[in-house]
Amino acid sequence: MFRFYGGQVVKKGTYWNLSSGESIELEHEKILPGSRQVRYLKVPATGIFILGPISGLLFICLLPLMSLLIVITLLSRIAVASDALKSDEAAMCMGCHSAQGVVKTFKNKEKVSVYIEESHFKNTVHGFLTCTSCHSTVSMDNHPSAQYASKKEFAIQISKACKTCHSDEQVLAKPIHKQAITRANAPPCSDCHGSHSISKVSGGKATASNSQYCLTCHKKDLNLSMKGETLSLTIDETILRKSVHGNHNCSDCHTQFSKKEHPVKTFGSKRELSISVAGVCKGCHPEKYKQYQGSIHSNMLTQGNLKAPVCTDCHGAHSVGHKALVETISGVPCKKCHEATFEAYKSSVHGQAKTNGKGNAPICSSCHSAHEMRPALASRSPRATCMGCHKNAAALHKEWLPNSDIHLEAVACTACHVPDAERRVYLRVTDSASGENISKARVKQFLGANYESLTLAKANGIEDQQLWDMYQKLGDSGTKMNLTGTLGLNDCNQSHSLAPKGKALKQCDRCHDADSKSFKAVSMAIITPDGHEERYNVNPAVLGSMFTILPLNQFYALGGTRIKILDIIGILMVVGGMSVPIVHITLRILTSPIREARRLNKLRKEGRR
Amino acid sequence: MKKIYLHPLPVRIWHWINALSFLLLIVTGLQIRYRDVFKLTSFKTAVDIHNILGFVLLFNFFIWLIYYLVSGKFNIYIPEFSLRSLIEGSIRQARYYGYGIFVGEENPHHSTPDNKFNPMQQMAYLNIMALFIPMQIATGLLMWDVKGFSQWIGLAGGIKIVDSVHVLLFLFFTSFLFVHIYLATLGHSTFAHIKAMFVGYEEEPEHGHSH
Repeated sequence: MFRFYGGQVVKKGTYWNLSSGESIELEHEKILPGSRQVRYLKVPATGIFILGPISGLLFICLLPLMSLLIVITLLSRIAVASDALKSDEAAMCMGCHSAQGVVKTFKNKEKVSVYIEESHFKNTVHGFLTCTSCHSTVSMDNHPSAQYASKKEFAIQISKACKTCHSDEQVLAKPIHKQAITRANAPPCSDCHGSHSISKVSGGKATASNSQYCLTCHKKDLNLSMKGETLSLTIDETILRKSVHGNHNCSDCHTQFSKKEHPVKTFGSKRELSISVAGVCKGCHPEKYKQYQGSIHSNMLTQGNLKAPVCTDCHGAHSVGHKALVETISGVPCKKCHEATFEAYKSSVHGQAKTNGKGNAPICSSCHSAHEMRPALASRSPRATCMGCHKNAAALHKEWLPNSDIHLEAVACTACHVPDAERRVYLRVTDSASGENISKARVKQFLGANYESLTLAKANGIEDQQLWDMYQKLGDSGTKMNLTGTLGLNDCNQSHSLAPKGKALKQCDRCHDADSKSFKAVSMAIITPDGHEERYNVNPAVLGSMFTILPLNQFYALGGTRIKILDIIGILMVVGGMSVPIVHITLRILTSPIREARRLNKLRKEGRR
Repeated sequence: MKKIYLHPLPVRIWHWINALSFLLLIVTGLQIRYRDVFKLTSFKTAVDIHNILGFVLLFNFFIWLIYYLVSGKFNIYIPEFSLRSLIEGSIRQARYYGYGIFVGEENPHHSTPDNKFNPMQQMAYLNIMALFIPMQIATGLLMWDVKGFSQWIGLAGGIKIVDSVHVLLFLFFTSFLFVHIYLATLGHSTFAHIKAMFVGYEEEPEHGHSH
């Protein structure tokens, strides 16, 4: 009604140009100047004088209300401005960092993806922070191209930002941090807590199982350095869960560690740590531990040999498997240290049977026992061991073998059942009542200085005279000790290469012949405290010596180890016996003329008569 | 010629079983002990034959023992109790073998069924029959079952001593065999004694005889 535009035909009146504020006074009907965009308002000149005071009055009345409105509007404007600032920064950063495949290369050529999954970050405990809250060297105006030596170096530097909010006091209140942070080469915060996906490690502390709590860190790539060695502290949860201990809590074995305790432990080496941790197994497996304690493995450990196996070496630590697993050709742990022996076993009649799936075929522990582990069965007669399964062996040998009992006592099963192996005679000091071996300490005690002379290296080994001295000394000591000989194998590994029954030696001549190879090597075997045997070379001639007729009165193979001096006596006796008729006949021939003369003389006398 | 019934049938049977056993025991014994020198059979065969013959010899020994105990003729093995006449008889016999036989003297001993052996033979055979053969049989038995007789072997001083005794006796018997066979040819004719051991009767010239 009052609004008009340029080019319009209007009646007389006062028209105000809204753009320029000029007024045009029209005396009669006329066209308004300017284009159609130029707006005009028709207000009578008198109206200004009336509207002016009314507007001024209204302004004064509405002033408080307007102030209020202005404040409210301005505040909202400020808030919106801040919001805009933040989202602007994130938008700016994410402009590049949301693109996958962009990588940063460190000085050591390590590469790290700079891609950030924004939604992940938003859901973390740090979701309310901006990028620059932590990456403080970066801002919307400044993005320095920092040069870090490595990914690790970068993580360490960035992790320093954590201290801005998390005071040392707060951090060190957790026992694990005391262990982890106070070290010189402490891992950066992000190693355990993550970086953009940052989580509260103790988030589930109250409810999570002990194992879950520990795994929060230990499923990550953690290492512990100790005196030049690096121990991985990373636990593969799937392996742990599959093990027979899958339902156990970490602290069941790692008894000193819990949700509350994480003591600082120092070990000289990884090996020391393994040995120490293996000690906890006895808590649940006391019988096995007791058996192990008498074993050669345990003895070796007691003697200070750290290579001696402990529970975990055979059973694994976190992967501890069922018994059946360590009793298979592929899973038997013994081969880790006894490779040559295992290979010999694998190709033996026993190993072949096991490979072919014969259930009751023996594996290492069947003969040596798993935990009691008795050594050096090879060089003595393993009767009890073999006959534990081969119950009718004694009867079967009796069917064809003369003096089978004594053969089975003095000849190791392996000596015939590993037909191609080299044999050796082992002399041992044994208790004459029980037949048990006498320990090195006791032998030393009774032999005194003689022991030292026995063990000194000599070109031909221990001589018969020494065995005789030893025999007398043992006799003087009043104890019932014997020297016991056994025919075994030269190489203990070979005793595992047992042949099928049909291939076993059955030819007596292989031993009962002075040319036999079975008696060309002799050793004195003395049991050391750890259960091994020390072997000292013995001159093989002692087997056929007069001096050993008493010291070695139990070990004798007809023909094979015959006493040499009897051969000389024999030749003298037989030659003597043969010479009687020869000499006598010769003399009779030589003296026949005398007899002939006498006979003729006699005849002549009779003729004369 | 006169005929003397010197060897009754049981003695002849015993003697020839003994003779065969001894020969085979010596051969198999050599096989067992000296395989590196003689190799006729396998060790196992030698041992098996040796064991069987050992028992043959054992039973044979009892044939001899029972016969002589029952017949009361055991005293032919017993030398004179008088040491003086024993020594004199031995010297006389030794002098014959060492001198007299060469110059054509007569054997000072005249065998009769009741006085079969000269003093040297008596001493030799008494030792052999009462000591050496029982010891040989005993040591052989011990070695036949070493485990079963381990207590006895222990008492004897161990298997090596038992075997050494067995071997020494074996060597003695072997060397004695040469002398024994040779002496058996010194009858009035070479085969007189040997024939007598088959038929029982020793033929002697009317006026004298020799061993």
